[in-house]
Amino acid sequence: MAIQEFDVLIVGSGHSGGMAAKVLTSKGVSCLMLNAGPEADYVKDRVATPVHQMPYHGFNKPGRLSHVTQATEANAEQWVDEREVPYTAPPDAPYNWVRVRLLGGRSLFWSRQSFRLSDFEFNAAEIDGKGDSWPIRLADLAPYYSQVEQIFRVSGRKENLPQFPDGDFVIETNLNLSSGVMQKISELAKPRGIPLSTMRSSVGINGLASSINLLLPDAMATGKLQIVSNAIVRELTTDKKTGLANGVHFLDRHSRREMHVKARVVVLAAGTLESTRLLMNSGIANSSGVMGHYLHDQIYGVRVLASVPEARDGKAPAGLMGGSVFIPRFRNLTKEDKRNFIKGYCMMISGGGSPVATDFAEYGEELQKKLDHYAGSCVSASIYGERVPRFENHVSINKTVNDEWGIPVLHIDVRDSPNEINQAKDAADTAEELFKAAGWDVIVKTDKYHPPGYSIHEVGTCRMGDNPKTSVLNRWNQSHDIKNLFVVDGAAFVTCGWQNPTMTISALSMRASEHLAELMKQGAV
Amino acid sequence: MQALAAAPAVPALIAQQAPTPAAPGTPVASGAGRGGRGGRGVGGGAEPPAMIELTQPDAVAETVARFFTAPQFNALKKLSDTLMPAMNGNPGALESQAPEFLDFLIGVSPAERKLLYRNGLDTLNAHATTKFAKPFADLDAKQVDAIIRPLLVATPWVLDLPKEPLLHFMASARTDISEATRNSRVWAESGGGGRGGRGGRGGGFGGGGQLVWLPIDPIYKG
Repeated sequence: MAIQEFDVLIVGSGHSGGMAAKVLTSKGVSCLMLNAGPEADYVKDRVATPVHQMPYHGFNKPGRLSHVTQATEANAEQWVDEREVPYTAPPDAPYNWVRVRLLGGRSLFWSRQSFRLSDFEFNAAEIDGKGDSWPIRLADLAPYYSQVEQIFRVSGRKENLPQFPDGDFVIETNLNLSSGVMQKISELAKPRGIPLSTMRSSVGINGLASSINLLLPDAMATGKLQIVSNAIVRELTTDKKTGLANGVHFLDRHSRREMHVKARVVVLAAGTLESTRLLMNSGIANSSGVMGHYLHDQIYGVRVLASVPEARDGKAPAGLMGGSVFIPRFRNLTKEDKRNFIKGYCMMISGGGSPVATDFAEYGEELQKKLDHYAGSCVSASIYGERVPRFENHVSINKTVNDEWGIPVLHIDVRDSPNEINQAKDAADTAEELFKAAGWDVIVKTDKYHPPGYSIHEVGTCRMGDNPKTSVLNRWNQSHDIKNLFVVDGAAFVTCGWQNPTMTISALSMRASEHLAELMKQGAV
Repeated sequence: MQALAAAPAVPALIAQQAPTPAAPGTPVASGAGRGGRGGRGVGGGAEPPAMIELTQPDAVAETVARFFTAPQFNALKKLSDTLMPAMNGNPGALESQAPEFLDFLIGVSPAERKLLYRNGLDTLNAHATTKFAKPFADLDAKQVDAIIRPLLVATPWVLDLPKEPLLHFMASARTDISEATRNSRVWAESGGGGRGGRGGRGGGFGGGGQLVWLPIDPIYKG
């Protein structure tokens, strides 16, 4: 029997791979998807367990998943085991690479915050006065954002703010300033030029906005998609005469049997760093020398907590506490706004929270009394800030360490700059000033943040651009060097913004896939 | 050679075993599967047996403390009782057997954490001996306070624990003792909800339990 040659081979099954499969199969293109891990069964693979019946009483197994600070004993099995697929980093530059290899990838577990990037990000070089811009602008991507927002069923409120582009929301949300503390925030924010809005979220279906329920079922229904799980792609293969991609070598996850599959086009959607690792291990598509560089993500962790005096000891008057507001980026939007950092951050403010034990130095009954005193009386602020993409923050192949399947691992070398430190400090100072102006007592203020990678929004390393000498991909997520090779995940990003990147990744994948289908129709690839 | 000789006995041994019980609600194949070599499959339309209700070990047995030395463990018990006493109708660390659980947990932890605890408990004993001429476990509440109050600091940023080892130990121990207490069977049965472990988006656990992912097609076990 002749082995089938597929039109398109898609590596990875998350939002980017799922979107590519959905778009391409809808246009009659036959696709094979390879996914490195198994398929989870949400019924059989989960069991309700009281914490005291877990082997480690909720502490998780010591030493396991040491870089995945999101891991709990309950969800430990969903993450990639670092013993299976390790990576290295300099001792003084820790990196938290958080991965999922289940079918659907990280789309199974994302927070569903759904934003568009703005031209403050697409046109970053002009806005920031340094760095690089994308080769596209919001107008190029807006039609695709609109379609993605319909598929994901995004809820939100239109604001008409250039730094916070409105979406085609399926569900309109209202700004709820009914609580006393949120009214106070509103009064204080306006004169400070701080806009207030609501969170924008993918409603999805039954609380899930994943590749496995919103994208892959449509692709499967066309009869044009086949999916192989537990297929760990080791290397892309190319035609020796043409230099074009012609397939991949992959290993069966359990038996380690190596296999080869052929395709006319290869689409990488394995996640920013896995796609880049695969290209680097294949030794292709890097005539620019830029591959692996400009790795960046977002800063998480700044926290300011203030207590409202009249709400302490459980005596909050009705209607005082509660509510939340979302504050989109408000820094560095004009040339007059001179700061000691470029780019910006968003902020979430919530009313009605409580401090935790580690916020205080007391112990025993004294600590409990203090916790009870402040319980429910607090307003909190947290941020997501944009890290600067810098050439020196890069990944390379560590040829001395292999993963479980004998594939060389990544060495990740990323460090923060004063820009991140200054941005975090500004966020903490701003929240503190706001809370103090409200007459509240700030009981926690920390401008510390998690190491790079923690946000799980890592992007860059195969950035797009119009110049093949300074970018890996063109404006269609297509390799400058190999015209039948596309990278449709976060690796293509030039700047990440402060926004959750999922909508942008999905829109870019949709746009690239439509372009690819047209090229295939024309016989151009 | 031995393996080859023994091989024929294996199918006979399997044939004597009862069918593997299926989980409640698991669909049963209508026909016998082929199951590959040596496979039996579940077939013939037989009803799977009902699951037998099992007892959790914490309900009938106590953890045997074996990692810390006796002086260290006594200091840990005293520290646990001090930091997390019975309050507001909830059990304290001692009733919840938090020290015994931490003896296990620290004993299976990376070397750095073991050292942090051992040195921390030894230092508490050393301070107690120097100041009051008796081990930490034998101090009264006022004496304990004189030792530990200067060592406890607020740590609002989880990744910013004190660099000084003893302060670092105290910050870690305070959190660990609280969590081991709140996540115990005794605490759950008293009506308190478990905290569900550190870190992690998705928050803590309710008293009724959390959906725990089982190993999915694992390469490594556990």
